[in-house]
Amino acid sequence: MNRSRLWATLLVFVALIAAALGIQIVRGDTPVLGLDLQGGLSVIYATTEPAEADDLTTIRDLMRTQLEEFGIAEPDVRVEGQNIIVDLPGVTDSAEAFEALQVSGIVEIRPVLQCQQTLPTPTTVPGGSTPTSTPSSSVPGTTAPGESVGTTPTTVADTASDDTGTASAAGAVGGSRIGRTRGFVASATPDDTVSDATTSTPTPTSVPSTTPADGSGATDTSVPTGTSVPGGSVPLTTDPPTTDPPVFGPTVPPTTVPVDTSGQITVPNKDGTELCLLGPTAGTGEVFQRNGADVQIDPQTGGWVINADLRDEGELAWNAVASQCYSGAATCPAAVGSSGRLAIVLDDVIQSAPTVNAPSFSDTVTISGAFTEQEARDLAKTINRGAFPVQVEQQRAETVSPTAGDDSLQAAVFAGLAGVALTLLYMMAYYRKLSVVIIVGLVVWAGLVYVLSTYISRETNYAFTIAGATGIIVSIGVTVDTYIVFFERLKDEIRSGRTLVNAAPRAFAATWKTILAANTVALMSAVVLFFLSVGSVRGFALYLGMTTIADVVVFYFFTRPMLYLMAGTRWFDSSNPRSIGVGTAIGGAQ
Amino acid sequence: MSDIDTSTPREGGVPRSIGGIPIARSGVGRLLEEQTAVDFVGRRKFGLLASGLLIVVTVVSLFAQGLNLGIDFTGGVSWDVPVTEQFGLDDAEGVLEANSIDTEGSRIQERSSDAGDFIKVQVGDLPTETEAALRQAFADAAGVSVDDVDVNSVSSTWGEDVTDKAVRALIVFVILVTIYISLRFEWRMAIAAIIAMLHDVLISVGIYSIFQFIVTPSTVIAFLTILGYSLYDTIVVFDRVKENESRYGAARPPYDDVLNVSMNQVLMRSLNTSLSSIVPVISLLFVGSFLLGQQTLSEFALALLIGMATGTYSSIFIAVPLLGLLKQRDPHWAAGRASGRITGELLREMVVTGNMAGRRARSRGAATAAGASAVAGDDASPETTTIPVDPAEQAKAALSHPPRPRKKQRR
Repeated sequence: MNRSRLWATLLVFVALIAAALGIQIVRGDTPVLGLDLQGGLSVIYATTEPAEADDLTTIRDLMRTQLEEFGIAEPDVRVEGQNIIVDLPGVTDSAEAFEALQVSGIVEIRPVLQCQQTLPTPTTVPGGSTPTSTPSSSVPGTTAPGESVGTTPTTVADTASDDTGTASAAGAVGGSRIGRTRGFVASATPDDTVSDATTSTPTPTSVPSTTPADGSGATDTSVPTGTSVPGGSVPLTTDPPTTDPPVFGPTVPPTTVPVDTSGQITVPNKDGTELCLLGPTAGTGEVFQRNGADVQIDPQTGGWVINADLRDEGELAWNAVASQCYSGAATCPAAVGSSGRLAIVLDDVIQSAPTVNAPSFSDTVTISGAFTEQEARDLAKTINRGAFPVQVEQQRAETVSPTAGDDSLQAAVFAGLAGVALTLLYMMAYYRKLSVVIIVGLVVWAGLVYVLSTYISRETNYAFTIAGATGIIVSIGVTVDTYIVFFERLKDEIRSGRTLVNAAPRAFAATWKTILAANTVALMSAVVLFFLSVGSVRGFALYLGMTTIADVVVFYFFTRPMLYLMAGTRWFDSSNPRSIGVGTAIGGAQ
Repeated sequence: MSDIDTSTPREGGVPRSIGGIPIARSGVGRLLEEQTAVDFVGRRKFGLLASGLLIVVTVVSLFAQGLNLGIDFTGGVSWDVPVTEQFGLDDAEGVLEANSIDTEGSRIQERSSDAGDFIKVQVGDLPTETEAALRQAFADAAGVSVDDVDVNSVSSTWGEDVTDKAVRALIVFVILVTIYISLRFEWRMAIAAIIAMLHDVLISVGIYSIFQFIVTPSTVIAFLTILGYSLYDTIVVFDRVKENESRYGAARPPYDDVLNVSMNQVLMRSLNTSLSSIVPVISLLFVGSFLLGQQTLSEFALALLIGMATGTYSSIFIAVPLLGLLKQRDPHWAAGRASGRITGELLREMVVTGNMAGRRARSRGAATAAGASAVAGDDASPETTTIPVDPAEQAKAALSHPPRPRKKQRR
């Protein structure tokens, strides 16, 4: 081994840790402590109407999920009386807490009565040529509009496109399989125009098959979207699919339909390009299965779609309004050649207003459109959030005292240090001079762990809790074990007559794989726990995984070169194996 | 057969040196120098039996009395008591104690908002009368009217969904680890390691059930830690087994020999690791919770201590014997099985020299006169005072670097 390289490794490694530590000290960074150690802020929610215990627990679970998605780690959420209490660790600013907890709204599902483009021109893509396949990509995207709902993505794509004439392509999922009426597709209603509907994403659109579709492209242009309010009074009852060339129809002026204006609201869509008049609520987000919405890439079109599971009761409510929309009834008018649209509304903003292209749905609703991944995920989140059975409101924020407090942390640190000291005493008795390597190695390891803990607790929301502290204390054992595995092997080699200089690289080669394998499994447990668990378990897993990595890194970049270098010094007297804890060796004493 | 404890044989049973390596005189010395010759495989039934018993007790206890779940799982009652000059956090605990309510598992926090400061005391479910009585007691202690003390029932913070997720994580973990160990080692080792791990978790949970310790989220986290720790320990042992497998592979001794040699070689390392892991935890338990009275720490430390103890135990007494049983059907090792497992000084020689000298010597010895004792049916007095090492073998061992097993085997 090249000594200068060993020195370089050793020094660079230690220098890096020291530098990181120095920076943190200069900046005054210390680990952010968790709720149990330093308290935090508690936000109290109350329901707007009396709620069942079941509903409250449902909300509790949803809130926790949501908070974690938002990046708030380890919230302590519980139901107390009619209130829901959310304790947030390490948050001291109540404004921040309130913002993180914007979870009050419930999601509503309303039929779209009519829409108006609020933005100037639809910048339509020169439809003509582009049509078919491209539409999607070319256009500046306002996404919201152009989605479609369906049980099965694919399907009928073509049809839809045709029908709608216009935008079709946009929302239309380029289904290869045709014919399944169930399917859906629909696409953007006329007004969405290709432009809107389609974003740059590859998305569904592609609509390969439909040759005629081109026509649609053309249509777009011709049909100045903005104007045409889809509100078609002309319910298109019959099956949408028809391959006829673009039905231009859509342009039919809106003309309001509403018979009964009660419960109607006028709200904008998400990016403010449309203003829609919506019918009365047909259901809340509760029609969807709790946490039943997720996103995936439609294998056929390559676009993002949202699959939302319906709950049994929800299916009835959903289908009731979906069938109206599908048939274009007065309560949910359709544009010519298309079906009506259903809007998913949160906080008076339309999150999505897909065209319905199946009269009824079972189990799952698929929403497709020109989504980016982020948009699709946001929509899925909205739908999941919608499962709030009752509306809740923020009442007030309270500061919370730590449950464990300084005493606990100090006790843990003290106990941990005492334990480590005992362990080291034992190691010194057992490994004699070799124990120097352990002690220095542990100091370096501790420095690295401290730097990483500080960084993690500041950069993520996983504050340092008692759980994390104990996790680190536990990992001391595993870390020391790395040395034990190595040194036991080293002693074996020395017993069989090798010198330390000779034995060290051999022992390292033999144990490195063992250590990697064992630590890989430890790391796996941490990673799995982190990604699949919630709350305090995640924080713990994070710290456990971090210490495991620190262990392996220190072993390779510090322990190994240090031992190699020390092995050659006079301090390690190879003629006296007892000095490193080997009692008997070939030719040795005894 | 061979229920003889060869690690502490009668005086004179242990040779002074094997292959040029001096053998420690005392049992402890041999342990420290990795020169033991314990017949682990021959004793596997004790381990399996003990674990079987524990598991039965665990299951019975789980069905009979279940787990003593803390308020994070069960919910309970909470009182909001205004903070007054005469009423602080300690007083709240005092009130609970005065009413003979177990403060272990309670949660007492000070909270403040625009509406003023108050102390929130939360305990597990109580009868309504007790609830009312305590409300009065808190009001008296704080010197406020009863109406100023809010009582609410509190849900769990750790709901079904958290448990579900933890279980899902566990399943995924088991699958991944099985795949990993199967690739890195082999599927039999994966199965043995996983069973040993589940055994550890089950027994840890069982101990919580049997003694009715309060289960908190910390406990659950500690149990999850055990998963990793148990596997870690097992893998270090299996790694040595694997290494010896390839070392002895060509000679095809009974697989039991491979296991015995490996176990004796890693015994000290296992003990060292356990000590160095458990000492900090014990320190946490005694210093942290008993001396300094930090209950949160004891929740963790206790579960960890139990888990680590079983983790170490299971690596040796569950994982390895199971591996032996699984390997019985492995055709590669079938040939050697007929020759029976060696124990005693022959085993020690294999442990110490790390090669097959002992086994070869024995078969030679059996052919001549010396070691009629060793073969399969050896009776209760197999100890030979000197090791039947072939002189040539010994000379070779003393001269050259001994660990060159491959070359020798190839002859």
